[in-house]
Amino acid sequence: MITQAAPASPPEVVPPRPEVSRRRRKPNLFRTLSRVLIMLIVIVQVYPLAWLFLTSLRTEEDFATGDPFALPGSLTWENYARAFETGDLGRNILNSFVVTMGANVLIVLLGMMAAYAIQVLGFRLSKLVRGLFLIGIIVPVQIALVPLFIDYSAVNLLDTYQSMIIPLAGFSLPMSVYLFCSFYEYIPKETYEAASLDGAGPYRIFGLITLPLSLNTVVTVVLVNSIFIWNDFIFANTFVLSEDLKTIPLGLQNYIGAMGKVDWTATFAAVCVTITPLLLVFLVLNKAMIQGMESGATKG
Amino acid sequence: MQPNRMLPNRSRTSVLVFLLPPLLLYGAAVLFPILQSLFLSFFSWNGISDMEFVGLDNYVRMFVADDIFWRAFLNALLYLAICLVLQLGGALLVASLLTSLHRGRELIKTLYLLPAVISTVAIAFLFVRIYSIDPVGLLNQLLHWMGLGSLERPWLSDVNTVLAAVSAPEGWRFTGLYMLIIYAALIAVPKELEEAAVLDGASRWTLFTKIRFPYIRPVWITTTIMATTYGLRGFDIPYLMTNGGPGQSSELLTTYMYKTAFTSTDFGYASTISVFIVIECLVAVGLILFLLKRKADS
Repeated sequence: MITQAAPASPPEVVPPRPEVSRRRRKPNLFRTLSRVLIMLIVIVQVYPLAWLFLTSLRTEEDFATGDPFALPGSLTWENYARAFETGDLGRNILNSFVVTMGANVLIVLLGMMAAYAIQVLGFRLSKLVRGLFLIGIIVPVQIALVPLFIDYSAVNLLDTYQSMIIPLAGFSLPMSVYLFCSFYEYIPKETYEAASLDGAGPYRIFGLITLPLSLNTVVTVVLVNSIFIWNDFIFANTFVLSEDLKTIPLGLQNYIGAMGKVDWTATFAAVCVTITPLLLVFLVLNKAMIQGMESGATKG
Repeated sequence: MQPNRMLPNRSRTSVLVFLLPPLLLYGAAVLFPILQSLFLSFFSWNGISDMEFVGLDNYVRMFVADDIFWRAFLNALLYLAICLVLQLGGALLVASLLTSLHRGRELIKTLYLLPAVISTVAIAFLFVRIYSIDPVGLLNQLLHWMGLGSLERPWLSDVNTVLAAVSAPEGWRFTGLYMLIIYAALIAVPKELEEAAVLDGASRWTLFTKIRFPYIRPVWITTTIMATTYGLRGFDIPYLMTNGGPGQSSELLTTYMYKTAFTSTDFGYASTISVFIVIECLVAVGLILFLLKRKADS
């Protein structure tokens, strides 16, 4: 899209300390106000999640009658026991894992190949192909639901892992192609020329030079896409029917119906269990992820 | 003549070997379905009986005879407006404030981004409870404490508030993402520029409007396009929380299309609506580029 030329792997973002801080100014009103405001906004962002977790530890009676802001009177893990009894959370997590992995392999591998063809090998219609990929970034995913549903039922792909992986990978591919393209721009021409003189063909050069150099970009692409794929609801909801294949979002949605009445504390316990894997990855890798998102957008 | 060819001796086959697999997947999942939708939009079909060519009938029905379509279209625009204000406005505000902070920036970035990691189904559950009135949810309790008890209501079953109530979670969810992008652009503004302006006695507001914002304009255009196209494809949260109801008061084009396709199994008409959604997205992107670019040139 609209980009500034940016280095392929963004340099470590070290916020430069503004000059003012060294001069030890008297506390100024603007700064205090902005701190308070930031705190307030952060509370709005984080408190609901903390509340979700606290509620999952409440007893049912406490939840039904108490003040929602109050701390739970007593903590209980019973909700978690009920959550595991009613839903097949392990299965859901496994399915989400399979779909996320499958889609990521396709996105990374095919994204690198397309970028290599466009940016390194070069061909006459490469501009057109780039433009085609741009369509996929703008166009909403809903356009594909009806056609894919019809096509899948024609070739018996409904209710399979592939039925989720194909569109998830297809719609994420453009961003991946763009990220790899903008990285390959920065691999100097001389690197390739030297390898060519040594007699390496396009396949060997891809395997020995381009692929190993791309690892940083691979991490970016995987992290950014995983959030969207792991949490995908619409494709799974449209193409998957059997319990065995349900991913986390579907498993969670099932929760309420399966219980007859809405057992909120157990549902919240299930929510907590299912957001944990991605949350852990996010907290461990948040630096890489944040950089990935920043670069993904400014370059996309 | 091929300016960006880096390998002097590559064969035509090698280009195809690298290009065909990605194009195949992309074609099957994205390009072909778009054409198929366009094709289906000229037919009447329920998936079982024979397809019947109806020409432009579906389009006529949509534009002339379908009140729900127009209702959903207006709702979608309102939904988009709320999302844009929360996401871009919130993002710009927090990113600007963050640059004046000395410590804890990394922590705040992480915390602020947290909701983006959580699935829409979990978010829908969470907000159903936040809006609830019996047992009293977070929002109503908060209003009660602030002495605004008269505003307490079941936010999701009140036809006047439901659309805003289903839009807010979407805005809440992604504001962190846009904040990160804008923040990264803001701290790249050259310090010399800002310092020179401060020496000239520029106020914070002038500094922002004359130096910082023009500098981040390209990134601002990108984020506006991202937020707009994501806003126009918003589906999960309204679908899960209210399924468009009560009545049609939180129906978006996407939820209406989905129901037309998979509840009424009217594949032809559903395709017509999705063609409209695609055109709407393209027009929106075109408009943003036109308006923001023109402003930059003047």
